[in-house]
Amino acid sequence: MEKFSYIGKDMKRVDTTSKATGEALFAADLILPRMLVGKILRSPYPHARIKSIDTSKAEQLPGVKAVITAKDTCGDRWGVFKYTQDQQFLPTEKVRYVGEEVAGVAALDEDTALEALSLIDVEYEILPAVFTIDEALAPDAPQLHEFYEKNINIHVKIDVGDVEKGFSESYLVREDTFSAPEDAYFQGEPYAVAAQFDQAGNLEIWMPNAGPHLKAKPLSNVLKIPLNKVRVRKITIGGAFGGRSEIAPADVICAFLARKAKRPVKIVYTREENTVSTRQAHSMVTTIKTGVDKEGKVIARDITCHMDGGAYSSTGPIAVSVPFLCMEQAYRMDNVRYNGYRVLTNKPIRGMYRTHGRAFACGVDLQLDMLGQALGIDPLTMRLRNARQTGDYTPTKSYVASCGMTETIEKSGEQSGWKEKFGKLPPYHGIGIGCNSVQTGFPMGIRGGSQAFIKLNEDGGVTVITGIVDNGQGNENMIIQIAAEELGLTPDDVQLINADTEVTPSDPGSYSMCETFIGGNAVRLAAQDVKKKLFKIAAQFFGVNEEQLLAKNRKIFVAADPEKSMSIAKAVRLALARNESISGEGAYWPNVDSKREWVKNPYGQLSETFSFGTVIVEVKVDPETGQVEVLEAWAAQDVGYALNPKVIEGQFEGGFTMGGQGGMLSEFLQWHEGRVLNPTQLGYLVPLAIDMPKINNIIVETIDPNGPYGAKEAGMSVAMSAAQAYSGAICNAIGAYIKEFPLTPDIILKAIEEKGKS
Amino acid sequence: MRLPPFDYAEPKSLAEALTLKEQHQEAVKVVAGGTEALVQLKLRLIEPRVVMNIKKIPEIEGIEETAEEIIIGANTSLKTIGRSPILREKFGAAAEAAGLVASPTIAAMATVGGNLLQNTRCLYYDQSEIVLKGLEKCHKRGGKTCLAVKGSTRCFSVYQGDLAPALMAYNGKAVLEKKGGSRTISLEDLFSGNGIQPFTLDPEEILTRIILPKPKGTSGSAYRKLRIRGSVDYPLTSAAAFMVMKDQKISEARVVIGAAGAAPKRVETQLQGKTPQEADLNAIADQAYSLSEGVDNLTMPGAYRRKMVRVFTKRAIQGAIEALKGGK
Amino acid sequence: MKRHAITLTVNEESHQLHILPNRTLQEVLRDDLHLTGTKESCGEGTCGSCTVLVDGQPTRSCLTLAVAMEGKKITTIEGLAQGDTLHPVQEAFVQYHGIQCGFCSPGMILTAYALLQENPNPTEKEIREAISGNVCRCTGYAKAVEAIQSVAERR
Repeated sequence: MEKFSYIGKDMKRVDTTSKATGEALFAADLILPRMLVGKILRSPYPHARIKSIDTSKAEQLPGVKAVITAKDTCGDRWGVFKYTQDQQFLPTEKVRYVGEEVAGVAALDEDTALEALSLIDVEYEILPAVFTIDEALAPDAPQLHEFYEKNINIHVKIDVGDVEKGFSESYLVREDTFSAPEDAYFQGEPYAVAAQFDQAGNLEIWMPNAGPHLKAKPLSNVLKIPLNKVRVRKITIGGAFGGRSEIAPADVICAFLARKAKRPVKIVYTREENTVSTRQAHSMVTTIKTGVDKEGKVIARDITCHMDGGAYSSTGPIAVSVPFLCMEQAYRMDNVRYNGYRVLTNKPIRGMYRTHGRAFACGVDLQLDMLGQALGIDPLTMRLRNARQTGDYTPTKSYVASCGMTETIEKSGEQSGWKEKFGKLPPYHGIGIGCNSVQTGFPMGIRGGSQAFIKLNEDGGVTVITGIVDNGQGNENMIIQIAAEELGLTPDDVQLINADTEVTPSDPGSYSMCETFIGGNAVRLAAQDVKKKLFKIAAQFFGVNEEQLLAKNRKIFVAADPEKSMSIAKAVRLALARNESISGEGAYWPNVDSKREWVKNPYGQLSETFSFGTVIVEVKVDPETGQVEVLEAWAAQDVGYALNPKVIEGQFEGGFTMGGQGGMLSEFLQWHEGRVLNPTQLGYLVPLAIDMPKINNIIVETIDPNGPYGAKEAGMSVAMSAAQAYSGAICNAIGAYIKEFPLTPDIILKAIEEKGKS
Repeated sequence: MRLPPFDYAEPKSLAEALTLKEQHQEAVKVVAGGTEALVQLKLRLIEPRVVMNIKKIPEIEGIEETAEEIIIGANTSLKTIGRSPILREKFGAAAEAAGLVASPTIAAMATVGGNLLQNTRCLYYDQSEIVLKGLEKCHKRGGKTCLAVKGSTRCFSVYQGDLAPALMAYNGKAVLEKKGGSRTISLEDLFSGNGIQPFTLDPEEILTRIILPKPKGTSGSAYRKLRIRGSVDYPLTSAAAFMVMKDQKISEARVVIGAAGAAPKRVETQLQGKTPQEADLNAIADQAYSLSEGVDNLTMPGAYRRKMVRVFTKRAIQGAIEALKGGK
Repeated sequence: MKRHAITLTVNEESHQLHILPNRTLQEVLRDDLHLTGTKESCGEGTCGSCTVLVDGQPTRSCLTLAVAMEGKKITTIEGLAQGDTLHPVQEAFVQYHGIQCGFCSPGMILTAYALLQENPNPTEKEIREAISGNVCRCTGYAKAVEAIQSVAERR
C-alpha cells in the first residue's frame, strides 16, 4: 500500500468545529427575511373519511398568510417505487393514521399559527381501523387502500435451491418464531423544513435529508416545476439513520405554503411529531426454519416474515428485503426460501431503519446458538462454519469480491476471550455473538451513480462539487480527505460544495453508507482526472513521462528526482496561460445488475461490495429484576480500508449503541389504538452515557478491489449485528432462549421464572 | 412547544407570595425549579391565570439544624440535598433519593418542595395533542373515563416522586403556610391518595418547609429505585427504609413504598424489638406487595412493577441494615 | 398578558428586552437574539440539547422562563470560545471525535465544561453521570467521554 498523507490517518473532521461552537446551522436554525411560521394540522383518528374541510375561519385570522389543504395540490399519489404510489401528501379522501397531515398554515408567529390550526374545521366519518398484523390480515378487515389486496402492499418472494430436499437431508431441523415491536429512529434533530420561492419561481428548500437529489425529483413532480428550478440546499443534518431518505409531506406542505404566501416558511417539528409523523421502524414476526448438518453447517432455511408497515409504503420493498439480504450475505446457505410480507395498518409509516429487523437478525443467530447447543457446538464455531467467504455468490447471486467475515469472528473471539469464557461463566453471567453483513448501496436505476466536478483556482486551491450528503457520519470530511490525498494538496486547500441540487450533480444519497463507495469513488476519479491534466503539463515542463510524477504537499515532482518540482498553483497557471481551461470530472456507477428489482426480480448483483461484522458482548443479568448490566463489548467489522480510523470507530460505537444497547434492552414503541404512547425523550428509552460499557473496536481491512483505496463502508455491519450479540449473551446468561424482543427486564424475568418452573 | 398565556409574578418575600396566593387561589401556579410546571404548561395540563415564581424568596431555601430537628426549606435544590453532609450522615435515604432524581442538571434546578408536590403520572395523561386528540377525556383531565384501565371509574395515575418515600420514612412533616397562618402536618397527610387531586393543600397554601426529627440512637436508612436506564427516568418501583437500633434490636422501623399508587404507602414492619431475619423481610415485602397497585400505564407492565415492589422493599431494608452496621 | 422589561446578560453582552412572560429562555435566545447554538430536541428538559449555563450552572433553557432571568449571567455555546480560540473542552470534542451530527454537542459541551469547573479531575463514572442527561444518538458517548477525560488529565 502506498504511503498516504491523509488517507488512513486520524484527521479531525472539517465540519465539527462549527458544531462545537454552535455556528453550524440546522434547518430549524434558519432565519430568512419575512419568514413565516408553518404548522401542520394532523388527523386525530386512525382511519376516517374526510367529509369536509372548512379553513375559512383560519384564513381570516389576522396574521395568517396562507392555509393549504389537499385542494391546493393536484392530489397525485406518490411512492418511492412505481408500484408503491399510494400516498398523497395531503389526503383527499381519507386519513389512515393518527398524526397524518391534513392541512397546513403559515402565520406571522407560532401562537397565531397554532390558533389557526384550531380554527380549521374538519368533518370526519370514523372508519373501523386495524392496529396489528393479525387484525389487518383478518378476512373482513377494513382495507386501507383499494389497490392492495388483504392489506398486503409488498410480498418479496425468494426461492433458491431446493429447501424441502435440504430439510430432508439435514441432521437437525428446528423452527422458531421471533417477534419485536416497532423501534423509532429518534434522530437527535427533530424534523424541520424551510422553503422559499424567488420571483422566477425557483424553489429553495432546506431539510434534513439522506440525498438531496432524491428529494428534488418528487418536489419537481408535485409542484409541477422542472428539476432545475428545485434547489434542495445544503444544511447541517442531525442524523438520518434511514428515516430521511424520501420526500416528506412536510417538505411539500412547506413549499406550497411558501408559494401561496409568497414568503419564506419554516416548519419545525416537535419531538412527538418526529416520532409519530416522519418514519418508524417496522415491527415484525419472523418464523425461521433451519436445517443443519452434523457440523452445524446450514443446509436449508425457510423464513416467513410479516412486517407491520403502517399506513403507506415508504421504502417498503427495501425494508422487507434488507433483513433477508443481510443474512444471506453474512452466511452461506445453498437452499433458502423467503416470504416477506409488508402488512398495512392504521399506524404511522414505517421505513428502512439502520438496524433493520431485530426480530429477524436475532432470530437467525439465536437459532444458530440453539442448533449449536443441540449439536455440542459453541455459537462462535457455528458462525465460523457458516461464514461467507471471498469469491462466493450469495443465494440471490451477488458476487462477493472481498469478505473479512471470518477474520471479524476470529479477532473478536480472540480479544474477548471467548474460548475461556463461553460455558465457563458463573450463573447469570453470559457472553454472546452476532454476525451480519450490509450491502453498500443497492440498484437505483438512473439515480444509482455519483458524479463529481473539481474546479481549480489559479492559486492552486480547489473546489470539489459533489452531491454527497453528510448526516453526521463524516462524509464531508471523507470527500476532502480523498481529494486532498489524490491531488497532493492539504485539506485546507480543498473547498467543498455538496448536497445542493442547484449546482451539484446527481448522487444516490447515503443509503447503506454507500457514499464512501459510490460518491467517494466519483470524487477520487474526478481528482485523478485533474491530476492527469496537471501531470501532462508538468511532464512536458520537466521533459519526463507522466508516470514518473507524483503529487504531494502541494507540489508536483519527479519521483526519482524530487528537486524537479513545481507548485500545483504553477501547473494551473501554466494551463491557463496556454488558454486551456482546467477542471476535473469523475463519475462512478456501481457494477450492479440493473435488472435486479426488490419484488419483481430479486436476483442478480445487489451491490458491488458488502461489509461484514461481528459483535461480541458480555453481560450480567440480575435474576431478581431481569435488569442487564453490560460489562464489555467487542465490535469488529471488515470496512475494506479505514479512510479515517477514528471516524470509523465512532460509527461502530454509535451503531452498537443504537442497535444493541437500545435495540435489545430498552427501545420499543407503546401503543393505544394506533397512537404512540411514548413519543417523547422521556418515554422512548434511548441509551444514556451512564449505561454504556467499554467498546473495543476492531477494524478489519480486506482492501476491496473496487472501493476507493479499498474502502467499503464504515459501521453498518456492527450496527446490524450488535442486537444479535446482546440477545445471545442474555440468553446465555439466563440459560434460556427468549424469542420476543427487546429484552426488557420484565421479559427477561419472565424467562427466568419459566425456566425455574421447568 | 409554546407556553400558554399567563401573567407573571415574582414575589421577593414569602409574605408577598402568600398574599398573591390568597388573592388568586387556584388560578395561580406556584413555580420554583420549573422542571415540572413548564412541561405541564406546554402540554396544557394546566392553564393558570398567574404563574408565580417563588425561587427568589430567600426564607425558604437552605438546610437548618436544631437540637431536635433538621429543617429543609422547600426551595432547597435536590443537588444540595444530595450533597448535604448533615443529610448524608443521618438521613442517608433522603440524600440517596435526591441523587437518583432525573439527571444531574434537572436535580440542580429542581427543589424538594416541587419534587414532593409533583403530580401523579400516567402514559395516558402526560401527553400532547398528537396522542390524545380524538380520545375521550380521562378522569384526571375532568372527564368520565379511564384510558389506561377500560371501564374504571377511578384514576390509576401513579405518584413517582423519589423524595417522599424517604422523607416519610423519617416521619417527616410539612409546614404549610398561608396568609395569616400555618399548619404542620405529617407528610403522609399531604397526600389524598386520589390520582385526580393528589394533594390536600388548600388553594391558599404554600409548602415552605420540611421538618425531619433527628433519630435517637443508632440509625440507618436506604432508598432503592427501579428504572431501566441509569439516569433521567422516574421510578417504576421504589422503597425507603429507616431503622433505629438499640441493644442489637430494632427500636424503630419504617418502610415506605413509592410508585405503587397515587400516594406513597407506609408498610407495616412489626420489627420492633427484633433482630431482623429473612422471614421478617419477606413478610414486609409481602405486605408491601399487597398494598401496591400496578396497571399498564407506565413504561413497564403493572404486573412486573408489582413484583418488583417485593424486591425493592427487601433491598431498601437490607440497605438500611447495612447503613445501621456502618454505625450511622 | 403584560410584557416585562428585562435585561438579559448573555455571553457578557447586555440585551434590553420587552417580552411576554410566556416565553422560555430557549425561545428568546434562539428567536430574539439569534443564538441558535442552543437546540431543542425534546422540549421537556430530558435530552439536554437546550442546556445553557446560568451563573455557571447547567440549566434547561426550555424549562426556564426568560422573564425570570433578570440579574443572571447566561452563557450559551457561542460564549465559550475566546474569539477564534476554542475552549479546551470544545477543542477536545473536535480532536477526539466526540461530535458526529452535532445536534447534542452544544448542550453536552457546556455540561462537560461545568463539570470540570466543579470537579477538575472526575473519574470516568463521574463523567458519564454528569452527561447522563445529554442524549446523543450518534456517538454512543465513547469519544465524548474520552474528550472530557483528555481535558481533565491536562489539569
